[in-house]
Parts: sequence; C-alpha cells; structure tokens
Amino acid sequence: MIKTEIYEEALFQTIKRGATEISDDVKEAFEKAIERETDVEAKKGLKATLESMELSAKRENPLCVDTGWPIFYFKVGNNCKLEGGFVELENAARRAVARATEKGYLRATMKHPLTGYDPGNNIGMNIPDFTYQFVDGDFIEISYAAKGGGSECFGGTRHRIVAFADGIKGIEKFVIESFVASARAGAVCPPSVLGIGIGGTANVAANLAKEAACLRTVGSKHPDPMFAKIEEDLYKALNSLGIGILGSGGATSVLAVNVEYAYTHIAGIACATSTNCMVARRASSRIDADGTVSKMKSPNWFGDR
Amino acid sequence: MSVYHLNGPLTDEDVKKLKLGDTVYISGECFTCRSRLQKYIFDEKHTLPFSTEGRNILIHNGPIIVKENGKWKLMSFMPTSSIRFEKWGAKSVDEWNLKMIVGKTTMGASTMAMMKEKKCVHVSPRSVSPNLWIDSIEVQDVHLYDELGRIEAAWFFKVKDLGPFIVDIDAEGNNYFDKLDGEIAERKQKALKDLGIEEDFEFTKLY
Ligand code: SF4
Repeated sequence: MIKTEIYEEALFQTIKRGATEISDDVKEAFEKAIERETDVEAKKGLKATLESMELSAKRENPLCVDTGWPIFYFKVGNNCKLEGGFVELENAARRAVARATEKGYLRATMKHPLTGYDPGNNIGMNIPDFTYQFVDGDFIEISYAAKGGGSECFGGTRHRIVAFADGIKGIEKFVIESFVASARAGAVCPPSVLGIGIGGTANVAANLAKEAACLRTVGSKHPDPMFAKIEEDLYKALNSLGIGILGSGGATSVLAVNVEYAYTHIAGIACATSTNCMVARRASSRIDADGTVSKMKSPNWFGDR
Repeated sequence: MSVYHLNGPLTDEDVKKLKLGDTVYISGECFTCRSRLQKYIFDEKHTLPFSTEGRNILIHNGPIIVKENGKWKLMSFMPTSSIRFEKWGAKSVDEWNLKMIVGKTTMGASTMAMMKEKKCVHVSPRSVSPNLWIDSIEVQDVHLYDELGRIEAAWFFKVKDLGPFIVDIDAEGNNYFDKLDGEIAERKQKALKDLGIEEDFEFTKLY
C-alpha cells in the first residue's frame, strides 16, 4: 500500500520539476537547432531561450510565465494499491497543484470559461485533467504536462476527417496547412513538438495527438516504419518552410513530429494535430509498491505499444 | 536593421523612426494588460483608475508575482499573444494614447489602422526567456488587483533595457509577418511537391 503522503509529495515534486526544469531530450533538440540555425537573430533567440530554461532549474522558477493547463497521465499497475484509492490520488493531485500555484511554480491560469473568475489555485470543474493507462504490475507512473495556452489556443489543435481515398497525401497536406496557419507570427510558440493522431473517433485522434506532443521522447521514432516515415517526411517538410522561432523566420520550425494511430472506420480517417510549445514541459516519476519514488527521464507512456 | 534603446514615455519621433525588423530595448514606465482589464474598461464601462500619460507603453502580459516579506517579487515574465486582444486593440491605442504595445504574435487590421493614425508600434519577442528579462523589471504598483485577480490586474513596471524585441508593426501600419507569409507560402508549395502532393490535389468532400 502506497501511503498518501508519499504520492502527494511525489505529485508535487513532479509538478515542480515539470514547471521549472527542461528535460534532457528537449535540451538536446535545442542544442541541435542552435547548431544548424543560419539566421543570426533566430540563433540568438534559441540561445536565449535555452539559457533562460537552464536558469529556471537553478532559480526554481517557471520555464515560461504561462504555465498552461495542468494535465496528469497515470500509468497504473493492475495491482497497484494506493491509500485512499484513486479518488484520493486525484484529491492529492489537486492539493499538489494548489500548493505549486501558491509557491509560484505555477501561475493561477485556470479560470471560469464564461466569467473569467479566478479561483487563484488552478482548480475547478474538470481541471486538472486526468488520463489513465492500465498495465501489469504494482507500481504507478505519474506524468505531469503543462500545456501552454499559445500552443493550445491558436490553432495548434485541429482535426479533420480525411477520406481513406485521400490517404497519406491528404493527411500530410492537412498537417502542413494546419501548422503553417497556427504558427503565423509565432502564435503556437514554435519550434513545436508536433503531435499527430490518426484514426479512432475524432476525440481519440485528438487525445493521441496530445499524448504524442506531450509524452513522446523528443527524437524518438514510431516503431512502425510506415508511421516513422510520415514523421520523418513531415519533419523535413515543416523545417523547410522557414517559420523559425516564434514565427519570425529561421531554420527550425518543429523540434519533432510524433505520430500515433488507432484502428478506425475507414469511411473517414480522423486526423488530429496538437502542438506543444518550445518549452515542452513535462516530468515523470515512478512509485514502486514499497513506496520508493524515482525520477524518470521520459514518461515511457508508449513503452508497451 | 537598426538597434534602438528607447526611453519612455515615448514620443511620435521615437516610434516613427522604427522600421520593420528593427530591434528595440525599452526603459521607463509601462503597464500590463490582459483581456479582463480591457473587458472591464471598454465593455463594462469602468474608468481606468490611472493615467497613461507618462506611461504609454503597454505590455500584454500576465506575470507571476508573489509577495515576499511584504514586497512584490516578480517570478516570471513573458509577453502574451496580442492577437487575442484585437477586439479592444484600436480603442486601447486611441483612448490610452499608446505609443508602443509589447506582445507575442501581432495585431490585426483594425488596430494596425489605428496605430498608423495615432503613431504607435507593436514589438514582439524572438525568444521565450523570462530569466533574461525579470532582472530588468521592477514592480512598482498594481491596480484593480481585487477586481480582476492577480494576473489580469494592471501592474506598473519600471523597466531598464528590457528586450530585445523586434518591430513587427511600424507606425505606418505595415506588418513584418505579412512579408514572411508570402515567403512561407512559396516554400510550402515546394514542400508539398517534394512530398508528392500535386498542386491540384483536392480533399474528397465528406461533409
Ligand atoms: S505557449 Fe508560448 S507563452 Fe505559452 S507556455 Fe508555451 S512558450 Fe510559453
């Protein structure tokens, strides 16, 4: 039985790390982008961003002022036992979000959608958001993602049902058109980690796209060569456009393109995009049945795919 | 492209010389603004509780500020997207006599027209680097904190060489991103062709 105080503290530390520390894979992608950038101003911008992100870890302040939507992904072992059960896990996550907000690791960003009322702690109807995946074992893996407003509000998240007849060409055209529109003037804060969901109902495709954007290790490939090729082709195509950092020109428009898919009704192929902004915040921790907490480098969300 | 270090309050002369793509650093007194402030003033018809004379630089931003030992402490700062305030953009420039708006992205046609008329520019960041900015910002005061909440309130900042920002709307109503749009559209045609997607490709209409 994993004690409440252990998982609550692990939740808090995971939020703090996600909000204030750049992950290794994103850092590596930035270093590569800096190396290949030829536009002088864009290179300065990438360097300044990386420098600021590295300072955030030291100063324990947020990587970006917009700390976005608090989103949790729980990968749960079938035999995982939590004190208070999963209802208490979610309560603890809410308490941890409120505490992180009070400490200034998160900004009080979540408000009432119609009145704009600010509870001041990022807690409200259906927020934070929780997603579960069940696997064998007795552990739990916690991932926290802070999905920035720019990346989510300005057209980075889109969907279209593409006819089976239009195939990969239709999907790729939809993705390129969508990305160009959403990255104009830097709206989605490129260079982006672009997630793409193909198949399932529209909401399944949208969730896959968000998970691909927020949880895949940057630089990883889909294990199925057919999907890996789409990732590679789109990565090259999007980086040839010259959108650059914050849309003001440059050689890197995407840090990664990650595709996930689901079987579907082929009357129409749901195709969804989700962009994660350049700070691509997330952190993961694992708690074993004996209560040992360990930091994870990457979420491992797709590990058993 | 030139680099300017400007001191607020800004004059017409200060902003008229700025060209698209120029780099600016700003010093002086500014205030922050987000949707709830503009809604409160322009839609709900409240009076702005301070004067913008001597403080004609507006920053679209919701900072993270905490109180430490009775003093405000700025934890993080990054200009937020300006385009979402387009509905109130022209009114803000006009009624608040703004000379510069700092924000991510850019503004739309109606604000640009007002900026041309009133001589105002929009500048935007080219990085997400809060830690390189917060040391240049002193938090002076806050207005409408109780009414609008911590991040939507109007914060008064005194800034010193805050930047770099690029000029993306000049005082003649031209937009840096309009120029880039054309270049990107051309490259997009080539990218689609390289992927084997014909120019006349049309989506099958399912709905
Ligand atoms: S979308 Fe942009 S402004 Fe928002 S968190 Fe991401 S980088 Fe920051």
